[in-house]
Amino acid sequence: MQTALQFGPVLIHLDRLLAGVGQTIQLAVLSILLGTVIGILGAIGRSFGPRWVSWPIAAYVELIRNTPLLIQLYFVFFTLPLIGLKFSSGTAAILALSIHLGAYATEILRAGVQSVPVGQIEAAKSLGLSSYRIIRHVILVPAVRAVYPALSAQFILQLMGTSIVGAIAAEELTAIANNLVMETFRSFEVYIVIAVIYFVLVQAASLIFAGLGRLLFRWRS
Amino acid sequence: MPNGVMRVVAGLVLGLCAMLPAIAVAQTVDEIIARGKLIIAVDTTTPPYGFLDAELKPTGFDIEVATKMGEALGVPVEFVTVTSPGRIPALLTKQVDAVVSIFSITPARAIQIDYSIPYAGQSAVVIAPKSTAISSHADLVGKKVGLTRGTAEDGILTAAAEANPGIEILRFDDYASLLQAMVSGQIDAMGGGDYGEIYLKKAQNGDDFEQKYKLKTFYFGIGVAKGNDNLRQWLNTWLFTLKADGVLADLSMKYRNQPLPDLPVF
Repeated sequence: MQTALQFGPVLIHLDRLLAGVGQTIQLAVLSILLGTVIGILGAIGRSFGPRWVSWPIAAYVELIRNTPLLIQLYFVFFTLPLIGLKFSSGTAAILALSIHLGAYATEILRAGVQSVPVGQIEAAKSLGLSSYRIIRHVILVPAVRAVYPALSAQFILQLMGTSIVGAIAAEELTAIANNLVMETFRSFEVYIVIAVIYFVLVQAASLIFAGLGRLLFRWRS
Repeated sequence: MPNGVMRVVAGLVLGLCAMLPAIAVAQTVDEIIARGKLIIAVDTTTPPYGFLDAELKPTGFDIEVATKMGEALGVPVEFVTVTSPGRIPALLTKQVDAVVSIFSITPARAIQIDYSIPYAGQSAVVIAPKSTAISSHADLVGKKVGLTRGTAEDGILTAAAEANPGIEILRFDDYASLLQAMVSGQIDAMGGGDYGEIYLKKAQNGDDFEQKYKLKTFYFGIGVAKGNDNLRQWLNTWLFTLKADGVLADLSMKYRNQPLPDLPVF
């Protein structure tokens, strides 16, 4: 092979790649938080809401889960300005990623809600718990616990999904890597370096989610 | 880096390369003819050089040059679609015989690949709405300026942004996204080829845009793998005849609606 690997020209830009890591983490964390909020509200609305609430949620879930994330990004960034909703690249990225995760989280959490035995909810009602406390303690917490592995897998996918937002000119690790490729022309080296970085990021995230799961659901095993 | 680690990494890369479906290791003109097909990397998102026509068939200045290259060699052309950042890797991994994709000739790129003599040329310009007064880099301060990642405009405008703080650069992956950002008002100005106007005019508000000032004139060469002098020498000879016969001038008018600029050789 004619091209010997040279990591030197890439590693001198490590500071820029690390800045990209920061932006990737920021995108992932913000969109996971927002997406989870959408998911919780969506799952409750879909499971217990009247038809005029549950049907639009079902439509949202189907729409998002049956279209590619890239198209959703394009829609938020390129199409919404036509009706006067203009977001910067970064905001549009977080928005699209959150809406995307929200649909998946809704569906995952709904499965968790359905796994709660009806008898458990009736027992809570007969004990005179308020609706809020029933939803929070009797339904939501056991529901999240039941689907926590699926949910954290979705969060990991979300972390890796941030790598395509360069398409709408948002800055993150992959976009910065692509800039470096064009500056140094060391594509193999750059992509090997960011593959290692993503691997470490995902491993770290997996550990955090596993630890978080153990911490949150320790009280009943 | 220790030799052992180097070897493991190189092994991994070779292993990854081996997994790619179509590795075409044709080096010489003879080998290409013996194989019975010419494999060319093109980008179908860079109108008017490479794009899909109404029947979704690749067409454009570059596509036609590549097709003529196959005709001259007497073999059919197989097109491999690459994006702008994928052009050099396509040659490094020997997935294609040559890259015909608005490949501006730069010394930095020539470290990794070899170029033929230029077959086309165009100017990079700044395009913005008519209502915006822009005539130099200084006027871009405080504005969002879009460009395609890794193009020559990227280099010039990034340097301009460093010299004139306040220019916000937005890098898009392809030209279509860049034009869309301009049309939808997500950027205030864009750096791109001088033909950009033709395409902007197709948009509903396309008449609102105009060329503001020229950044630089670029020359496009056909890229081949480093050291592939056999194919490069044939390309140079063939391009010379194509230019002498007026074919390139006709293509320039057909696709760019602009005369072919003087093409220096090296």
